[in-house]
Amino acid sequence: MAEQSKDAAVAGGTKKAGLLNRFDNPWLNWKFLSGASIMGFIFFLIFLGNQFWDTELALAGSSPLNMPPLGFTNWRDQEGIPEHPLGTENSGRDMLALLIVGTPRTIGVGFIAATVGMGVGIFLGFLAGFVGGLVDDVIRLATDVTITIPSLLVLIVIQSVLPYIDLVTMALLISMFAWATPTRYIRAQVLSMRESGYVQMARLSGVPTRDIMYREIMPNLLPYLAASYIGNMTGAILSAVGLELLGFGPQRIPSLGVSIFFSIEAAALLRNMWWWWGIPTVILAIVFIALLLINLGLDEIANPRLRKAN
Amino acid sequence: MGVFSFNYLLRRLLVFFLTIWVAATLIFIIPRLAPGDPIGAMIARMSRQEGFVENADLIIEAWRKRFGLDDPLYVQYFRFIGNTLRLDLGYSLANFPAKVSELVGRALPWTIGLVGIATAIFFTVGNLCGALLAWRRTPRLLKIMIPISMTFTSVPPALFSLLLVYIFGFLLPIFPQVGAYGRGMVPEFTLEFFGSVLYHGFLPAMSIVLVTFGFWALGMRGMMVTIEGEDYMILAQAKGLKPFYVLYRYMIRNAILPQMTALAVSIGTLVNGSVLVEIMFTYNGMGSLIYSGIANQDFGLIQGTSFILIVTSALAVLIIDLTYPLIDPRISLEGR
Amino acid sequence: MAERKNPHPKSLPGGSVSTRSHKEGGTSTLPFPPRGGKGLGDGGADRVVLSVDKLRIHYATPQGDVIAVSDISFDLYEGETLGLVGESGCGKSTTAYGILQLVQPPGYIVNGSIEVDGTEVLNLTEEELRKFRWTGLSLIPQGAMNSLNPTMRVKDQIIDVIESHEGKQNDKEALRKRIFELFQNVGLPNRIYNMYPHELSGGMKQRVCIAMGVALHPTVVIADEATSALDVVVQRIVAQTLVKVKDEIGVSLIVIGHDMGLLAQIVDRIAVMYAGKMVEIAPVENVYANPLHPYTQLLIDSIPSIKERKPLKITEGITHDPRNPPSGCIFRLRCPFAWEHCAEVEPPPIYVEDKHEVACHLYAEQFEERRTDALATLANP
Repeated sequence: MAEQSKDAAVAGGTKKAGLLNRFDNPWLNWKFLSGASIMGFIFFLIFLGNQFWDTELALAGSSPLNMPPLGFTNWRDQEGIPEHPLGTENSGRDMLALLIVGTPRTIGVGFIAATVGMGVGIFLGFLAGFVGGLVDDVIRLATDVTITIPSLLVLIVIQSVLPYIDLVTMALLISMFAWATPTRYIRAQVLSMRESGYVQMARLSGVPTRDIMYREIMPNLLPYLAASYIGNMTGAILSAVGLELLGFGPQRIPSLGVSIFFSIEAAALLRNMWWWWGIPTVILAIVFIALLLINLGLDEIANPRLRKAN
Repeated sequence: MGVFSFNYLLRRLLVFFLTIWVAATLIFIIPRLAPGDPIGAMIARMSRQEGFVENADLIIEAWRKRFGLDDPLYVQYFRFIGNTLRLDLGYSLANFPAKVSELVGRALPWTIGLVGIATAIFFTVGNLCGALLAWRRTPRLLKIMIPISMTFTSVPPALFSLLLVYIFGFLLPIFPQVGAYGRGMVPEFTLEFFGSVLYHGFLPAMSIVLVTFGFWALGMRGMMVTIEGEDYMILAQAKGLKPFYVLYRYMIRNAILPQMTALAVSIGTLVNGSVLVEIMFTYNGMGSLIYSGIANQDFGLIQGTSFILIVTSALAVLIIDLTYPLIDPRISLEGR
Repeated sequence: MAERKNPHPKSLPGGSVSTRSHKEGGTSTLPFPPRGGKGLGDGGADRVVLSVDKLRIHYATPQGDVIAVSDISFDLYEGETLGLVGESGCGKSTTAYGILQLVQPPGYIVNGSIEVDGTEVLNLTEEELRKFRWTGLSLIPQGAMNSLNPTMRVKDQIIDVIESHEGKQNDKEALRKRIFELFQNVGLPNRIYNMYPHELSGGMKQRVCIAMGVALHPTVVIADEATSALDVVVQRIVAQTLVKVKDEIGVSLIVIGHDMGLLAQIVDRIAVMYAGKMVEIAPVENVYANPLHPYTQLLIDSIPSIKERKPLKITEGITHDPRNPPSGCIFRLRCPFAWEHCAEVEPPPIYVEDKHEVACHLYAEQFEERRTDALATLANP
């Protein structure tokens, strides 16, 4: 085994050189690249939409009601018109404008909540992993308790008292629960890296703890942090969509989830107004699948073993 | 070893009770954090609905008494915690004089049944698929089919249920769109009723299973890959054991341990998802109860239902944590 | 090796030697049957149980194959203990895993033949190989710490190997007795029968592995650095256990290790490997008293001694790229005696005497003069 692992290490030792080899670059991972391209394409479409489409059409009463998408007919046998290529909903909002305005709002909530959660998670995870003792115990208990509580329930209770809040407040509320998973994950990674040879070596040679954190551990943790961040963002968007589906969230210019909530309230399913709930649902589904692909790709980039298994 | 990690069992119990205490405290504090006099505002809002609600003055009286708004805060707090621990969750506004605990008692079994069965399916199927993905002897066709079946992984269950209802409840009406059992049926222990429950539960359960099992398959695959590099796997191969025996006794048996831990961690997310799925299907469980609470501004109902669901989740986590030492011989309940 | 047809007089260094190479004829192509001893009245004592011929193992990397084991040939006799030594990375464990058909990807066997008791292991189908494992060849692994399944009781891990090869055992009491007997052989207390691996000490785990390794009385047992993870005292006890069990059960044993001192006490013959090549194979007394290959000499010199403190002779740093070995002799970059011929011709194994071969040009007949000079420098540095 000694030889085997050694020889394997010889094979693995070429990894650094491999970064220059364009066929062996771990970042050329099809999952990561396709996920990132999908997200990039969505942002590109939003950008184009903002440039060339009238986003005022996302306001109620700006368009005719209940129009089907171009090429389809609704239950009143009205045909879709080019002025509203994706149709309109029952209070006269243009679906295309809704998507252009609503998609970045939903993703934005996830982005803010995940960033705040990740920041707290990195801080607490390192604190727990490095200080240990009572601090570690308290942080671990807090993490376990936070993870156990289904966040949506607490958020519902909060929103039932404060029904009308803006997106940023919503994001901050969600981030109250978004710190626990990264904390737990980072703590475990820090603990295992702390035991690894090169960090022990640095400690023995008297490198200050703070330098060990920033110079030895952080760089090695980066791919894991990136994967964890994307996972966290998925979770935060999931919470945001959950709240929106219950009708909490911006009402005047709805985000994607709120649109779906309106459509359910208006029994769009029974009236076969599939474009109303269907298009936002499919867009959200694509966003979630793209984020998952990025996450899986980053996992494989961070963990060569998973890469080899393909 | 730190202060609280002295004993596996005690630590798990501590987390359980802390979770319940935190949940109760949050539910006490949140209405009081709102600007102004939230309880007063709440009652005022209820009073405005007088026209729609019978016995409104009785309800308001019951709430006033329950909150004891004139008492000092700490007296209110301890009374609230005391009531909550006795599962006295007050009255429902919309269903007065029904107590929240009665409504919850009727809804909870449906939620536990739905989530429990869905969990059993996605955990089994997911881990099996993951194990097969990593196993060298899995037929090629399966190795292609499984990833394809995982396409919808990570789509929120509630959104996926919309698609399922549209396709299998509306376009091809093979499954019912709403409810937990046939309309006009009375819950009883008959085969017919049981069949109806399964028929109605199929789409909601699938909404959870189809978007979730892929996560477990991916996790399992990762664990299997890690375990394939373990020394004991090389010895198992050298020992000339039968391949299938190696798969389940050496690989799956060891890979399932972290999966169990992950299951405990994911209970919260799972409950979040199933609450929304229930709402989409008007399934008569806890989710629909919360939704009716939101629709009727029935705060007692929202808070009581949420609290009981949190307690149930914590209990599920505790049960998984206490089962874990039975499958991992390295952890013992007595501590070490 | 198979060269025992022509027993030469024992007259080395300096005597006449044969230069017959393995490339010209392996065991399988010899005119006489590969087993059956020398026919000099030894009876069947020198029956060959394992014959490795031109085994070559590579590790595939994006930059080309790493040659881990390069055309190794040797025989193992019945009841013999063979030590396989060499520095880390020389391919000794890879050789062992190659013999066991356990080379893990990206490693793969390029060519060669492995015969155990007349069975060509490389020709077995998957199911035949599975049945052959542990009855023909068994392994005592290096990392006994992690070599036992953490979620299975000790007894179940021994029972599974018995039941996989001998079918379901219905007489549970007999099975229990059989396992207790194995425990007794390796000096384990019966109380560990129901224990899990994490409840055992390192030495105990290693004994469990030994008990497991001999449970089916295999033809050949390969112990891969079986003692290197243990502390010195336990190491010695485990090594003794290994030899004792081997004698009691009558198996042939290959011990892989780098502790020359420990090996000297337990093996009959030693095979020295360098960079994937076998440079010398000789009875243990010869190796210690009269090492022939320059690398073996360096190895023996490196054994620490209390009586005299000597400077470390083995030099690090001038090793070659394992993907691209130098022409001729693999050791010439580090060899103090190398000359042009070493860069031109790869030295074939040279028969020295019974069970002793060396792959070095110094011992070829035509270079006798050089050999005398070299030995002279060695005597008076």
